[in-house]
Amino acid sequence: MELGIFTIGDVTTDPTNGTTVSENQRIKNTVEIAKKAEEVGLDVFATGQHHNPPFVAPASPPVLLSNIAAQTENLHLSTATTLITTTDPVRIAEDYSYAQHLSDGRISLIMGRGNTGPVYPWFGKDIRSGIPLAVENYNLLYRLWREKNIDWEGKFRTPLGGFTVTPTPLDDVPPFVWHGSIRSPEIAEQAAYYGDGFFHNNIFWPMSHTARMIQLYRQRYEYYGHGAANQAIVGLGGQIFMRKNSQDAVSEFRPYFDNAPVYGHGPSLEDFSTQTPLTVGSPQQVIERTLSFREWAGDYQRQLFLIDHAGLPQKTVLEQLDLLGEEVVPVLRKEFAKNRPAEVPDAPTHESLVVRHREGRDPIPGGGEGSRAYADRQARAAEQNDTQGADR
Amino acid sequence: MRILSITTSLSEDSTTLKLANKITAAATSAADDAGLSPETEHVNVRNLSSDLTDMALTGFRSENLEAAFATVAEADVIVTVAPVYKVAPVGLHTLFWQLIDEKALANKPVLIGSTGGTPRHSLAGETVLRPMLSYLKGIVVPTTVFAATDDWGSVEGGRSLGARISQASDELIGLAASLHGADVEATGEFGHPTQRTNPSSDDEFNPEFITPFAQLLEG
Repeated sequence: MELGIFTIGDVTTDPTNGTTVSENQRIKNTVEIAKKAEEVGLDVFATGQHHNPPFVAPASPPVLLSNIAAQTENLHLSTATTLITTTDPVRIAEDYSYAQHLSDGRISLIMGRGNTGPVYPWFGKDIRSGIPLAVENYNLLYRLWREKNIDWEGKFRTPLGGFTVTPTPLDDVPPFVWHGSIRSPEIAEQAAYYGDGFFHNNIFWPMSHTARMIQLYRQRYEYYGHGAANQAIVGLGGQIFMRKNSQDAVSEFRPYFDNAPVYGHGPSLEDFSTQTPLTVGSPQQVIERTLSFREWAGDYQRQLFLIDHAGLPQKTVLEQLDLLGEEVVPVLRKEFAKNRPAEVPDAPTHESLVVRHREGRDPIPGGGEGSRAYADRQARAAEQNDTQGADR
Repeated sequence: MRILSITTSLSEDSTTLKLANKITAAATSAADDAGLSPETEHVNVRNLSSDLTDMALTGFRSENLEAAFATVAEADVIVTVAPVYKVAPVGLHTLFWQLIDEKALANKPVLIGSTGGTPRHSLAGETVLRPMLSYLKGIVVPTTVFAATDDWGSVEGGRSLGARISQASDELIGLAASLHGADVEATGEFGHPTQRTNPSSDDEFNPEFITPFAQLLEG
């Protein structure tokens, strides 16, 4: 189980005092947060990708992640998310490959589409093609990381003739990829097809909805023969704010909640806490809530918390990390390990992926021999042959 | 057969609720006559007002709202009644229909009712709600029912309102019966499951119904 944090890099005015940090300060703060995450014993730091204010999450996450990699030893560095729709898959292949080498394999990606319509045309794309873009671009990226001298032609980018990515991935094993989506079944299906991970940000929707998406991904993962449903690689987000005393947490966080980007001036803190995974309270409450995710998501591999948004002061964010490291993460680690079936895998690491690759156990996109998907394909092909025979 | 009335009844003793009850009663008796064993349900959008504004602001669907949308998905016919403000059904009512899933009303006969202070508001249901409900793939019956103060106040008004209600209800149930007629004969039950194009979000996440990835790859 990987436990960590993810940031959207928003530059938001602190509603309690009207101050706004500069972009420069927010960027430096982000690096400090990541270093602190390693210091207090978290496993993962993940950053979003943004091209528009009020965000300073990097337009090219490998820039930030490489900088952090240079200042940390063990921290896993991830995106949350990489925009697979508007970023050229060739640049994704090259830049993340490079960052993977620099970080000795500590890089992973969560693919996302991006829901800000105006961003797409800035990169020559159209939000209405969001799903087809995610499908075509990722398929190309998948090949770029595994094949040499690629000839390729598609709808959304210039054709490639005899292209080989440089550098090739470390040890010939690409970074692990998760596919993130809040509400598109196509993306859960995509993750299952390739045997990749599925990540749900788990912040804006009721748990019942998130549970259905994860269930779909797990069933299809099994269908494509990558393992049993409970062996699929699931990641969840979540949102927390803690103080030793839960009433202090609520009164301190309320102005930030009420004025937050996206959901501010909408539902009450209390309603949002009941209906979504948001937990504002004591470390014990955060522990109990987070452990309950397992009841509807099954045993899972990655848990990321959002702790640094809505204008919260840096000092407060660092205190959240102290609480996470001292009181929450050790207990979560212990409790999540309890009753976890032996066949449920841990979150993939570069080392585990290298072993899998050398043993010839890499997932086969669409399902290899022995999978139900394979059997269905065979049956369909046989049916078609029969029909053709009859025509003659 | 499930008859669902969706009203936006803003006050305790609302004429909107009164009109909805009259229409539902007429529809129930028409369904009884047609041997369709009606059951009635009622949703008051007033009780969802905060949920709707929250969803408009954040995209977040509360459990109450999910439940209301599911009730719509399960209904066989819909009666929708709202008060008219400034020549349009009150915004809270249209917001409900604006936030529900696309195709939420597919294959469902729908009856529009409205209430207002004067007959000058009488076409609000036709001009605002009919296109919206058609957009949701509802089959809106030709007669809409509008009730103004006059209709409640005088014997004559009451009589003509009653006639409009029974006309619209007959259209509603007649349409439902012909849509599902074959099923009723075959199974003795109203609403054959395969006939219900259920647009609820459950289906989207059913492995049986999703588009296989190979197909997405082919574009």
